[in-house]
Amino acid sequence: MDTFFQILISGLVVGCIYGLVAIGFTTVYNVTNVVNFAQGESSMLGALLTATMITFGFSLLLSAVCGILLVGVLNILVERVAIRPVGKNITKGILITIGVSVVLQGLAVVLWGTNAQALPTFSQQQNFNIGNVVVASQALWVIGTSVTLMGGLYLFLTRTYLGRTFRACAMNPDTAALMGIPAGMIRGLGFFMSGGIGAIAGIIIAPMALMQYDSGAALGIKGFIACIIGGFGNPVGAALGGVLLGLLEAFASGYISSGMKNAIAFLMLLVFLFIRPGGILGEFDKVKR
Amino acid sequence: MNRAIAPVAVVLGLVGIYLSGNDYLINLGVVCAIYTIPAIGLGLLFGRCRQISLGHAAFVAIGAYVAAITSNEYGIDPWFSVLLATLTGGLCAWAVGKLMFRLSGHHLAMATLALGMIVHTVLVEWRSVTGGPDGTALINPLVLGSVDLMSDRAFFLLGWGVACLLLLASDNLIRSPFGLGLRVVGESESVASSIGIKPNALKVAAMTISGGLAGLSGALYAYWLGYISPDPFNVAFSLKLLLIVALGGYSGSWRLLVGVFFVVVISEVLKAFGRWDTIIFGLLLIAAMLYPQGWLGGMFDQFRQSRQATAGDKRGELN
Repeated sequence: MDTFFQILISGLVVGCIYGLVAIGFTTVYNVTNVVNFAQGESSMLGALLTATMITFGFSLLLSAVCGILLVGVLNILVERVAIRPVGKNITKGILITIGVSVVLQGLAVVLWGTNAQALPTFSQQQNFNIGNVVVASQALWVIGTSVTLMGGLYLFLTRTYLGRTFRACAMNPDTAALMGIPAGMIRGLGFFMSGGIGAIAGIIIAPMALMQYDSGAALGIKGFIACIIGGFGNPVGAALGGVLLGLLEAFASGYISSGMKNAIAFLMLLVFLFIRPGGILGEFDKVKR
Repeated sequence: MNRAIAPVAVVLGLVGIYLSGNDYLINLGVVCAIYTIPAIGLGLLFGRCRQISLGHAAFVAIGAYVAAITSNEYGIDPWFSVLLATLTGGLCAWAVGKLMFRLSGHHLAMATLALGMIVHTVLVEWRSVTGGPDGTALINPLVLGSVDLMSDRAFFLLGWGVACLLLLASDNLIRSPFGLGLRVVGESESVASSIGIKPNALKVAAMTISGGLAGLSGALYAYWLGYISPDPFNVAFSLKLLLIVALGGYSGSWRLLVGVFFVVVISEVLKAFGRWDTIIFGLLLIAAMLYPQGWLGGMFDQFRQSRQATAGDKRGELN
């Protein structure tokens, strides 16, 4: 039973990260109809930028905030320069965002090399025990931050004026623009938020899993799979899909074999794509031709 | 008359390279030929039919490994193993197409990306058959009469002979009713259905052809190098193929060569930049998408149009 809880917690931790990355995908997808294949790179850059700031002697909090803001601003730039010009063209959007991810990974190699960077854990105490289960303090940080962030995002989208304009743009950007909502700015906001959320995911997981130039790509793929599982374009579904994928992976590697971890993820992707491409919560009609 | 200019120019250029006797140029020429063959297939699938495949390297890898394994393990005649590789590539692509074309857009892109990664993982992990990450060497060389085709010079002739024949064939194909059908499907599936074209059947057909050509190229690559490992068949390879088609103005014929030469030459030049090479490659990919005509393909178009001074069909535009 102890093993079960141990696996449950590690699954939840990974699942929260996948969920955050998936929400990042959703935020961009809803307002722009672009799937940002460079989403995972936000997490990688966030973590590496924060690690560098810390080595310069800044406090963890300040470094993290700077890292998050920098990645967000970078995302706005990318949207403005490379993604807005192609409009609604799906194929070009895919290839351009892949190009962006190639460039960002290359930049990370030039700036940080291929070695993994470590972040310190957020609290002094490393582990504590609940019964026979050992819980890393960072695991609580990850789960706590994710839940707070997801809740805050939900409140933002449903309770604030800006959040409502954001949802209006997600439903129909053209109509929203006619209602006087600056749709271009909302696009920028979407990219800023997705970059920030991605960066937060990268920063909180970095103390537990080392980050290096290509860590983002793997996170991005898992986040996308979480989106498919939960229903593309649905933020609640994205969080749910992330947690589900994390748990499945953890139990598969705990009870079957650790080599099965990635196989499970891809299997889930294919199963959902072919059997229920709308995901658990999404609408099937949206993806069906 | 105009249609003959490109092929004649290409052949003259190739003969020039061969006669120059420069080993480096001939080596580059072989690499170009190996990129050209799968690019022709992708030109039909992605260029004409507008179906993205981020996992095309998988079919090249399947071709290479089928050729290597059938000739090494079962002692099959190398030429026959090349044929088998082509057929296997086509068959796999057909099966994949049957499944994948239920999807479109982002979902199709991710599914093909996943396919590429799954095949790559299998090649690395299935050590008993593929030799794992260390790869496997090809024991039997490709022989024609008494001539060993392993040398760059012989392979230059073989590779470009095959590539030119395929270019001629695809040039004809895209002008045939089938090719026009592909283009209609690429422009609008509803229009295609309304005039009696089955979009899915055409997509699967284009996928099958492109898979077969990818398999053929993989087999030739394996025999040329005499050694294969999973490493070259990664996502970057698939991306390069897409970039070739994009730079060649989304055509399935001779203009692809513009993209091929560009990508191969750029890859060579970028080697000098060390770690900056991937960055420049990514920027190129972005730029190629932002300038839809494909710079060089577009220039070629303008040149031709200004000569013809007619309102020719505006090909190569990605809507």
